[in-house]
Amino acid sequence: MLISVSNLKKIYVSDEVVTKVLHGLTLNIESGEFVSIMGPSGSGKSTLMHILGFLDKPSSGKYYFEGQDVTKLEDEQLALLRNGKVGFVFQTFNLLPRTSVFDNVKLPLLYSKMPDEEKDERVKKVINAVDMSHRENYFSNQLSGGEQQRVAIARALVNNPAIIFADEPTGNLDSVSGVQIMKILQKLNDQGKTIILVTHEIYTSEHAKRIIKIKDGRIVGDEPVMNRRIATDGEILK
Amino acid sequence: MNLINSAKLSILNLSVNKVRTLLTTSGIIIGIASVIVVMSAGEGIKSLILGQLDTFGTDIIETEIKVPNTAKNKTQSQQESGIAMVQGVQVTTLKLKDMEDINKLPNIKGSYSGILGQEATSYQGKLKKVFLYGVTASYDEIDRGEIAEGRFFSESEDKGLAQVVVLGSELKQDLFGESDVLGKEIKIKKKNFQVVGVMKKRGSIAFFNFDDLAYVPVRTLQKKILGVEHLVHIISQFENKYQAEYTAEQIRRLVRENHDITDPDKDDFVVTTMAEAMEVLATVTGAITLLLLALVGVSLIVGGVGIMNVMYVAVTERTREIGLRKTVGANYADVMRQFVIESVLLTIIGGIIGILLGIFISFLLYRFAITHGMPSWRFIITLKSIIIALGFSAFFGIFFGVMPARRAARLDPIQALRT
Repeated sequence: MLISVSNLKKIYVSDEVVTKVLHGLTLNIESGEFVSIMGPSGSGKSTLMHILGFLDKPSSGKYYFEGQDVTKLEDEQLALLRNGKVGFVFQTFNLLPRTSVFDNVKLPLLYSKMPDEEKDERVKKVINAVDMSHRENYFSNQLSGGEQQRVAIARALVNNPAIIFADEPTGNLDSVSGVQIMKILQKLNDQGKTIILVTHEIYTSEHAKRIIKIKDGRIVGDEPVMNRRIATDGEILK
Repeated sequence: MNLINSAKLSILNLSVNKVRTLLTTSGIIIGIASVIVVMSAGEGIKSLILGQLDTFGTDIIETEIKVPNTAKNKTQSQQESGIAMVQGVQVTTLKLKDMEDINKLPNIKGSYSGILGQEATSYQGKLKKVFLYGVTASYDEIDRGEIAEGRFFSESEDKGLAQVVVLGSELKQDLFGESDVLGKEIKIKKKNFQVVGVMKKRGSIAFFNFDDLAYVPVRTLQKKILGVEHLVHIISQFENKYQAEYTAEQIRRLVRENHDITDPDKDDFVVTTMAEAMEVLATVTGAITLLLLALVGVSLIVGGVGIMNVMYVAVTERTREIGLRKTVGANYADVMRQFVIESVLLTIIGGIIGILLGIFISFLLYRFAITHGMPSWRFIITLKSIIIALGFSAFFGIFFGVMPARRAARLDPIQALRT
């Protein structure tokens, strides 16, 4: 089991106002799955993703990652997990401006223990995997949105993580670019990578193999996708 | 991440964000440069004051006329002497005989005496009111002024009431321009005076312009122009500086006897050694140093606030970047290391530029001073000023670079990323 979560709760407290975001979630995810976490905004799906991706800590409940109890880890160890086990793709890309594609993709490797000689080779390989080799020395802010998101995927891949988390990866893109991103994610999953996709669009979520529906901090549905959509050129993302 | 990689990364970051780097370093540069300029100017002013003192010579005792005290109460007497001055009370007791007697004292090498007057002077229709400085021929040996062309007048010319004159360089320029002057005759109070020499340019010393003077024999000035017999001051040169105070006391007794004064409170003269003048000037330079310290303090605060602001804004802007770095696996130490190295690099770059700029501006100041009548201004950059400037900017640069970064590095990655 890659991810095993039981009775996970998240409560935000600010100035005596208590906001319950997650009300005791329980779910398992196997290695190699392509899961959509779907729900309207405010449902808690992003919070769940942040907890699963070691960016946030649960208020209570258990979270086992590869059999290890993550809730007991210190910040230092969580940073190591983020660096080596997961890759993130965000809606707003989050690339460093005025920095080349190459250096952006290399960013996670600055904090990894990979030998220096291997790093540049690895960076080139993942840039090639998202078809961005021709833009390697461009600044990130010289690229289109779709190209920026492909660079962000390369950056998520560079550490060869166990899971890729994609938070509304097509949210800021036009349809054609969005399809390309979904194509890349499906291809990566075909190659064995676990993908967790967070989205509020049913259509986009149907590119995954399994959909977990969340509403008001509770799981309201968890089932495999019957008619899975395969991203193809010319398809219109709705 | 090791240190070399961190440094490489920092250099990359700094070069990528050129505007931010420039703004940050400019705060450091201005802070450092202003400290160096202010401290260098302070040294310049000190050297200027000491240099002016030096142009008079330090082996000098001056005997000068003074309106005597009339009352017992000292403050009151000072007031009265002030009033007496205003009312035009003249002290006419200091005579050439006093100088001759002073010259007989054991520690005295020689003396000159002088009196000032102001008369209309003309050459070929050019009329000018000129300060006349009547001095004995010994002025030439004792004073530091030098002859540029011709000669100074002799003792026999003085005693023979010769109508000869030595011109200051500016006065010569005013009356004659570039043409030859030696042997020409100018009119002083409608009497013909032959020009025998011209003094070298000397500049103003203590607001007294030596270059605008006409030097004439003291006796000629006394008898033929002013119609008086007294002097304003006697300048004596001594041999042994360790006996200077004793010699000054001997002069006081001697002049008192010559002037029939029994009560020192009623002295109509005052004797000062350069050592005493030095003490007065030491107080003045002390005050100037204090003023400069205040100025340095202000420039430190201004520079510091500048550095602080830019650093603070820079780090706040970079909270997202910090969030992203933590998201991809940087831990607290990685982020802090990066900011410390960046701050140190900025401080070093800004420090070097600031020091060079400060030295350059100080040099311009020096050039300006020496070409604008302050020849004894010296160009001095002290190690102390560089250490103070660097120390302070390192403190502000690193402290205010690292403090906000600490706060940002402690945020949850997702919180920092959302800002």
